[in-house]
Formats: sequence, C-alpha cells, structure tokens
Amino acid sequence: MNHNHHEESIEESEIRSWKRKLFGSWIFAIPIAFFMLSERFFGISLFEEKTTVITILVLGFPVVFLFGWSTIRGGIRGLFTFYFNMDSLIALGTVIAYLTGIFSFFGFVQDYSGISAMIMAFFITGKYVESKARGRASAEIRKLLELGAKKARVIRNKKEIEILIEEVNIEDILIVKPGEKIPTDGIVIKGESAVDESMVTGESLPAEKRAKSNVIGATINQDGILYVKATKVGKDTFLAHIIRLVEEAQGTKVPIQKLADKITGVFVPIILALAILTFFNWWFFTSDLSRAIGISVSVLVIACPCSLGLAVPISLMVGSGMGAKRGILIRKGEAIQTMKQVKIIVLDKTGTITKGKPEVTDIYSKVKESYLLEITASLEKLSEHPIAKAIVEKAKLKKYKQVLNFKILRGRGVEGTIGKKKIVIGNRTLMKEKNISTRDFEFTINNFESQGKTTMIVSENSKVLGIIAVADTVKEDSIQAITLLNDEGYRTVMITGDNDLTAKAIASQVGIKEVIANVLPEDKAKKVEELQQQGFVTFIGDGINDAPALKQSNVGIAMGTGTDIAIEAGDLVLAKGSLLGVVQAIRLSKATFRKIKQNLFWAFAYNVVAIPLSVAGLLHPVIAEIAMALSSITVVTNANLLRRARV
Amino acid sequence: MKKVKITIEGMHCASCANNIERSLKKVSGVKGVTVSLLTRKGFVECEDSVSDEELKKAVARTGYKALAVEKE
Repeated sequence: MNHNHHEESIEESEIRSWKRKLFGSWIFAIPIAFFMLSERFFGISLFEEKTTVITILVLGFPVVFLFGWSTIRGGIRGLFTFYFNMDSLIALGTVIAYLTGIFSFFGFVQDYSGISAMIMAFFITGKYVESKARGRASAEIRKLLELGAKKARVIRNKKEIEILIEEVNIEDILIVKPGEKIPTDGIVIKGESAVDESMVTGESLPAEKRAKSNVIGATINQDGILYVKATKVGKDTFLAHIIRLVEEAQGTKVPIQKLADKITGVFVPIILALAILTFFNWWFFTSDLSRAIGISVSVLVIACPCSLGLAVPISLMVGSGMGAKRGILIRKGEAIQTMKQVKIIVLDKTGTITKGKPEVTDIYSKVKESYLLEITASLEKLSEHPIAKAIVEKAKLKKYKQVLNFKILRGRGVEGTIGKKKIVIGNRTLMKEKNISTRDFEFTINNFESQGKTTMIVSENSKVLGIIAVADTVKEDSIQAITLLNDEGYRTVMITGDNDLTAKAIASQVGIKEVIANVLPEDKAKKVEELQQQGFVTFIGDGINDAPALKQSNVGIAMGTGTDIAIEAGDLVLAKGSLLGVVQAIRLSKATFRKIKQNLFWAFAYNVVAIPLSVAGLLHPVIAEIAMALSSITVVTNANLLRRARV
Repeated sequence: MKKVKITIEGMHCASCANNIERSLKKVSGVKGVTVSLLTRKGFVECEDSVSDEELKKAVARTGYKALAVEKE
C-alpha cells in the first residue's frame, strides 16, 4: 500500500503548496490593495506617483513571479507548445498587466501592475479553496485507497511473525486477532468470529465467519481469533478490484458532458483570440490604449474552462464516493444518465431475488431413497450448477460412483452412465427430448412446482426413478426492494430458466407481476432486447451467468456475492447481494445526474454572462478574476452538496 | 492490446486533462485515452508495441509529468 500512500501525499502537498502561496502572495498583495484603494476612493497618495508605481512593482513582483511562478511558467510554455490551458490565460493577463507598470514610466499607458498582483493573489486564493473542496469531493474514494491493511501476521517456519502486506503470499496462514483488519482475501481455516464488512460491501450487519468461510481483505475482525489462508493478494483482491473499478470510472464520460468537453478543448484559444480582438476593437474605436489593455486583461482572466470542465467529473466523483461507501460501484458515467430513462427493470431470479443457494426440500422416490441420492449425487458432483451442489450436499456421500460419458445439457440437466446404466437427470424438457415418460409422476411434479420448487427428474435406462425437489428461498429484503421499485413506477419483470409455475410462485411472493420463464441462459439477452422495444431496460443479475444480458440492457446492474464481484459485466456493480442496493443505486444515479445538470447549467450560464460583460468593458479585471475563482469554487461546492441527497 | 494506468502530476485545470488526452491520442498505436483531472490518472488502451517511454513523452510534451506507468 506504499503506492497509495504516495498518492495521498500528492493531494495533500498540492493543498499545502497552494496554502503557502496563498499566505505569501497576500503578504505583498494586502499593502498593494491598500495603496490602490486609498488612491481610488480617498484620492490619498502616500507617495509621489512614480514612487507608488515603483513600490507596487516591487511588491507585486514576488506575487506574480514568485508565488505565481508555476502558473506563469506553465502558461507561457502552453503558449509555445500550443497546449493551452487556463494558466496561459492567467499568465498572459498578469504579465501584460505587470508590464504596463514598467511602460507607464515612459508615459504610454496607465499602470496596471497593482491589478496584476491582485489578479494573481485572487487566482491563488481560488485555487487553494478549490483544491480543498476537491479534496473533500474525493474523500470517500481516498478512504477506499487507504483501506487496505499495511501489515499482516503470518506463520512462517512455525513462528508467528509480522510482515508487510506486500510480502504476503498465497497459501500463507494469517492470524487475525480481534479488532484487527483481515490483511487480504482468504478462507478461514480455524476460528470463529463476526467480521465487519461494511467498508467494502456496505452491509451494516457483521458477517459470521467460521472454518471454510471466505473473508475479504480490509474488513475488520471483531471478536474471535481467525486463522485465514490467503487466497488472493495484491492486485487480485476484492478491494483492489473495487479500487480499480472506481478509479477507472472517473475517467469515463457522461454523454451530457460532450458539449462541455468540446468547448473546454477549444476554450483557451478562443478566449485568446477574443481578448486580442477586444483589445484592437477598443483601441481602434476609443484610441484609449490603456482602457483597451485593461478590458482585454479582464477578458483573459474571467474566462475559466474549469467550471465547465469540472462540472461533470466532480459530480461523478462525489457520486462514486457516496456509492463506494454503500457498496455501490459506478463503473460507467454513462449509466448515470441512462438510468433516468429506464422504465423496465428485469431481474434475474436465481441469486438476485433469491439466495441463489437452493436446498433439497423433498424427495419422492420409487426406489430406495439412498440409492436415488447416490446415483444423482454421483452425476451432479461433476456439475457446477447450484442445484447440483444442493443435491451433493444433501447426499453427503463418502464415496461416489464412477460416471462415464458425463455431459452437461445446458438449461436442462445432466446425463452419464454408471456401470451399464444410462442415467438422465433434468427437467421435463429434457425428459421429453429423451422420450422418457413422466406420466406417473405428473401429479407429484406439479405439486412441487406449484410451491415454487424446482424438480429434478431422475431416470435410469429411460425409466423415471424419482423426483428431487429443490427450492431456492427469497432473500430477506427482496420483497421490500421490489415493493419500492414498483412504487417508484418501474415495470418489474422476472426472468428465469425455471418453469412457469416455479417462477410465478416466487414472483408472487415478492410482488412481481410479469414473469418470463423457461428462458435458457443464452436467450436472456434476446428477451432483454425484445423488452427494449418497449422502453429502456435495466437488467439485474449476478454478472457471472448473465453477462450478455447485462451488456444488452441499457443499464446493467451486476450483483456481487459478497466475496467476489464480476468486474467486467455491468455498468453498476453492487458489492453486496441485496436488492435494496439496486434501489439505492438508482436513487444515487438520479441524484448524481441532477447534480451534473445543475453544474453544467451554472458553468454555461457563468461563461455566457461573464464573457460578454467583460468584452463590453463592464468588469474591472480584479472583479473578473474574483468571479472566475468563484465560478469553479461554486461548481465544486455544489457537487459536494450531493451528499445531502437521500440515497 | 494492453491497458495501462498513468499517474500524472501537475494537472490543475480542466484544459490540462484535455491537453494530455489530445497528446496521448497522437501516439501511434494508442486506441483510447481517458484522463481524469480529479484522480490524476490516465487510462490508455494501446497496442502492445507502445512503450512506456513514448507515453511518458507524450505527457511531458504538454508540460506535465508522468510519475508512473503501470500495466493493468
């Protein structure tokens, strides 16, 4: 975590450096302001005119060229390399204004050197305030970067030693005492404890951990000692994934920002041209060189690409930070904008609405139950399907039969041979396909299915032996979340590979009226596409099996399982597997987008009003600079106000 | 194709990020660039043949400093 530490100090050192410049510049700028104001408002000159000019030039020099040096240097370099930035405008404005002080000795022009120093002092002040506000805006994200443990206690050569986190290897046994951070992702091998995972998943209740539980690095062990075998280190950990995801998202664009970006790209050269035009115009029409200089300096310093350029990213950053704290990860800025147009929410059933961990609930067998389980578990052992796992868990066999010719028939079941017997296990579709009659079992199957249970028909040599019913229970907060979505006017649709009966039983339990059942995994994306003809669709799935549907939908929301998240699928990713997170994610997206629009409005409005005013000569250069500084501060501060949104 | 993350020092205004994006896009072999002023990070998608040095140079050309180039 050394590296992250380093980043932190860039930010802090930047604020510190602006602060130093701030104090330094005002020490000289305050006396200058005093001279300027006393002369302007009270007509009092402390010294003779030339002495005043010299004093101001001397006092102003450090303000512009010492404390403002980085700005002047960057700005001038920009002018030569054609990579203009805001510094170019400030540098040009202040240097020209400063030079008028020297030229005023020869009587050409009025002295603007005091103004030059004031502009720089206000510019620095603005930058300081802005950097502080930006620091606040990124607070949550920075916290995330610092979340990782720095050290770990491991057993090496049978001795307990403390090492740096970078030195932890996979398979290392880590010892985590109560109150300590779990150093990295791993699996508990000994011990029992409650672990606070709120910092990465947003889940407020501590999770119970015992042997075989997965634990996430950076979460806090609360009451017992845990012995954890490290399974992931460094870049591969859950936290590292979250960090990368959040960081990458900051660079993504929200479509609404396109215009602002385009303008920011050409802003500085346009303002430069405008300032030159303004200068010649005023000079030509009023023959007042001094006034022409003053006004074009105003034009140079009032124009600020920052408010425009910051409007969107700063809001996105505050929004992302708020999300990260709640286990909601915004992967693409675009999703925030699209979310507003979404009308239909399609939810995958398994693992999204339900726990996704089915259990065997009933067994109906024509043969000995133990035999039925033995052959079923022997085949299902070879499959990764959750239903298969439930059966294997139920059977708890010590020894499995040898299975040959094993085949997974996606969305339908499995087949294989044990000895000379051909075993086919699966749903009705599969039985029909294999010409296996289920007639004698229809009543039982229907009975189970009407209760929302999934039935596995077990057949041997084309004869059905029995039915195993498996049910997946609804997550505790699914009902509440779906009620909220329905109340907000979304059309909620459940999609599943299960049959109609099972699907409807679950749907009615949670309050979903529309069900698309019997959908093969590969067809989910197609179904989403069909629904898209009726409106924008959000698809919510676990991100592992549903990647194509997530991609197809307008906004894909991938639900994490608590220890693993599908990084590549989904525009929004939820670290914890609660549907309430979806409600939060939708609210957060909408609130963030509202903030983005507000900020863009203010940034455009500011420039549209301020630039013509200064071209018209109605703004004093110092006032222009203050207005400019305020414009970017306003945008950043407004973004920080997003935190008040109810999410 | 590879994806790299560049940590950039010295950006302080919206045009800065824009300039760096523009400069990086000019490097041959670079497909996509996003630079975030706020996180001081640039993400570049480019051909494997593009060297870290080329990317660093492109950043330097605009007057900023690439502190680190990491492969994603």
